[in-house]
Amino acid sequence: MERKNTKKSEVALTALKKGENGTVSSIKTGHGQGSIFEKRLMDMGLTPGIQVSVVKSAPFHGPIEIRVRGSRLALGRGMAERIFVEKEKK
Amino acid sequence: MKKKLLIALAGNANVGKSVIFNYLTGLHQHIGNWPGKTVERAEGTLQFKGYTIDIIDLPGIYSLSTYSLEELVSRKYIAVERPDMVINVVDASVLERNLFFTLQLMELETPMVIALNQIDMAKGKGIQIDIDSLEQLLGVPVIPTVAIKGVGIDKLLEKAIETIEKGPAKHGQVMYGEEVEEKIGVLVEKMKNVQFMYPPRYAAIKLLEGDEDIEREIERLSPEIIPLAKKLAGEIAKLHGHGCSTVITSERYEAAGCIARGAQKLVPPIKPTLAEKLHNFTTHKITGYLMLAFSLLLIFSSIFAFGDFTSGLLSTLLYGLEPFFASVFGTGIVGTLVWGGVMEGIIAGVTIVLPYIIPFYIILYFLENSGYLSRIAFLMDNVMHKIGLHGKAFIPMMLGFGCNVPACLGCRIMETQRERLLAAFVTTLVPCAATTVIILGLVGKFLGIQWALALYLFNLLIIFAIGRLAFRVVPGESTALIMEMHDYRWPHMKTILKQTWFRVAEFIKIAFPLIIVGSFVLKLAEVSGVLDPLAGVLSPVTVVWLGLPAITGITLIFGVLRKELSLVMLGALLGTTNFALVLTPVQMIVFTLVAMLYIPCIATIGVLIKDFGWKKSLFITVFEITFAVLVGGIVFRLLTLFM
Repeated sequence: MERKNTKKSEVALTALKKGENGTVSSIKTGHGQGSIFEKRLMDMGLTPGIQVSVVKSAPFHGPIEIRVRGSRLALGRGMAERIFVEKEKK
Repeated sequence: MKKKLLIALAGNANVGKSVIFNYLTGLHQHIGNWPGKTVERAEGTLQFKGYTIDIIDLPGIYSLSTYSLEELVSRKYIAVERPDMVINVVDASVLERNLFFTLQLMELETPMVIALNQIDMAKGKGIQIDIDSLEQLLGVPVIPTVAIKGVGIDKLLEKAIETIEKGPAKHGQVMYGEEVEEKIGVLVEKMKNVQFMYPPRYAAIKLLEGDEDIEREIERLSPEIIPLAKKLAGEIAKLHGHGCSTVITSERYEAAGCIARGAQKLVPPIKPTLAEKLHNFTTHKITGYLMLAFSLLLIFSSIFAFGDFTSGLLSTLLYGLEPFFASVFGTGIVGTLVWGGVMEGIIAGVTIVLPYIIPFYIILYFLENSGYLSRIAFLMDNVMHKIGLHGKAFIPMMLGFGCNVPACLGCRIMETQRERLLAAFVTTLVPCAATTVIILGLVGKFLGIQWALALYLFNLLIIFAIGRLAFRVVPGESTALIMEMHDYRWPHMKTILKQTWFRVAEFIKIAFPLIIVGSFVLKLAEVSGVLDPLAGVLSPVTVVWLGLPAITGITLIFGVLRKELSLVMLGALLGTTNFALVLTPVQMIVFTLVAMLYIPCIATIGVLIKDFGWKKSLFITVFEITFAVLVGGIVFRLLTLFM
């Protein structure tokens, strides 16, 4: 796993603008049902250290579209807010 | 000599698994449910090289954990039934994510062959895969296929048979980091003497991941292993700063990524592909919604136009049989029961299924297989969140406008049982084609289209209000949208037709007996003269509270069979279809409103019982009747003030 240890700004995935990239640092979904979703997100490829890019977000606080590991995922906004990434400078 | 083989198809959703399944099994297939589960089970047989091969199409899943019923069912199937061969269908254009699943299959130590599907689409995206190196890296035979054109399927089958005949060859395994491997070793050693359905290494990995299902199973066999596994998992978590399950998933994905990178060459095309452009257009914040509105309008208007025409044609045709029946069974009680009870029930069913349900399913599967449904879910996600559901729930709701029965069955796409129930509940409030007949045929025709639209709007408001309420009342957390949007592609028509056929068969199986029996019972009640007293008994509700003619009590009972029957019956019992002569405008609105909301029809109730059990179905039914009567009475009083 290649993780940059430089503590750069850790932001929620939703803070990234269209076209920006980030590296997943953690997923904070809480316990119980939440941990199932954490597992699900990881099964879809969102593991710590992986690079994701935000393609677009649906209007009125709708879901966001991201690309990860060559696949295209739609994530509900509430879910995306709990995924934290290190923002990459372009 | 007859030799039997069992082959399972496994892989991610939307990778062309069902196309391969259809190609292999043709018409020799059977679709049912896994015992006691609402998960679809597709089986088929084929003859090949002297073998009789049973093929089972496992549900499309992304992992073999216990996130969903589908995953659990698949895992258990492979571990317990031990198929002779698992054909893992892999989408070549999303290799890394697909291999993550492949690696988990390999951990189950099942004999397998990989169908590297959609290589043509991968090429279009500039992905070139070296088959030989992929085979070498995985230690599993790989056959490239383009399922929708039938390319490579025969070779795939030959390879599968050849691999079975060669006998069990051990394929590779993911090697995790040193610390993880060490803990796996400890657990495997501990489980050496435990007779368990899963391979020891697999069980060890899953225990470290904290898999509750495996924990339950092991608890029964050898409970002392669990605390040990928890302790070891804790050590890994401490070392890595992430939960043990996160560490293992990450490392497994790293391995998948490594293999993918080793076997594929990326030459991204300079110009965006057509699929890419279409994706951007259909998910754009303006054009996406315009396109959605346009598609829905087109779909519904064409289905209604087609359905209306065909339905009329069919009923004229079938009602033409009436004199024939009269001549055979007479016009006495027997004749009335046979024609009015049984035959009219059948006609009711037929005139819904052929004209409305079939085209509806064809279009639905076309949209699903091409990829558009997931875009609709993406666009509608935040609207659906207002009632505590996510974007995928829009799809059954949309179906509900056609018919509530397939719509409620469609709620199986939701991930949790709670969401399935909530979505189904909301869906039963959606005005279906039959309800539309009442709305347009009564209010629309006699009061004007603006009143009909107002009723639709009112219905939507109610759906939102009730949906929000139910979402708060039903215990559990709301879930979020996590959905793949695969590349657009031209769907495989034969697969669509087959899926449609199985759905229609399912509908017939559930709905027809109910409609026919219901129709018979009502006719019997009519013949025996129970209906008039019944109308009298109901009159405190219909006459006093709702301000309707007493006769509507009877027609609303008939509406349980099929909602538009309540209007047809009203015409018959009042002796005219010019309702303006016999009903006031307020009565028309109240009647329509009650008919719209009061009960899911008998077939819908049947589906609810099948998926959610008696208690919940009864609750929904009673709730909706009470609610409809309540709303109807209030609206009656309010409208009387103004009109």
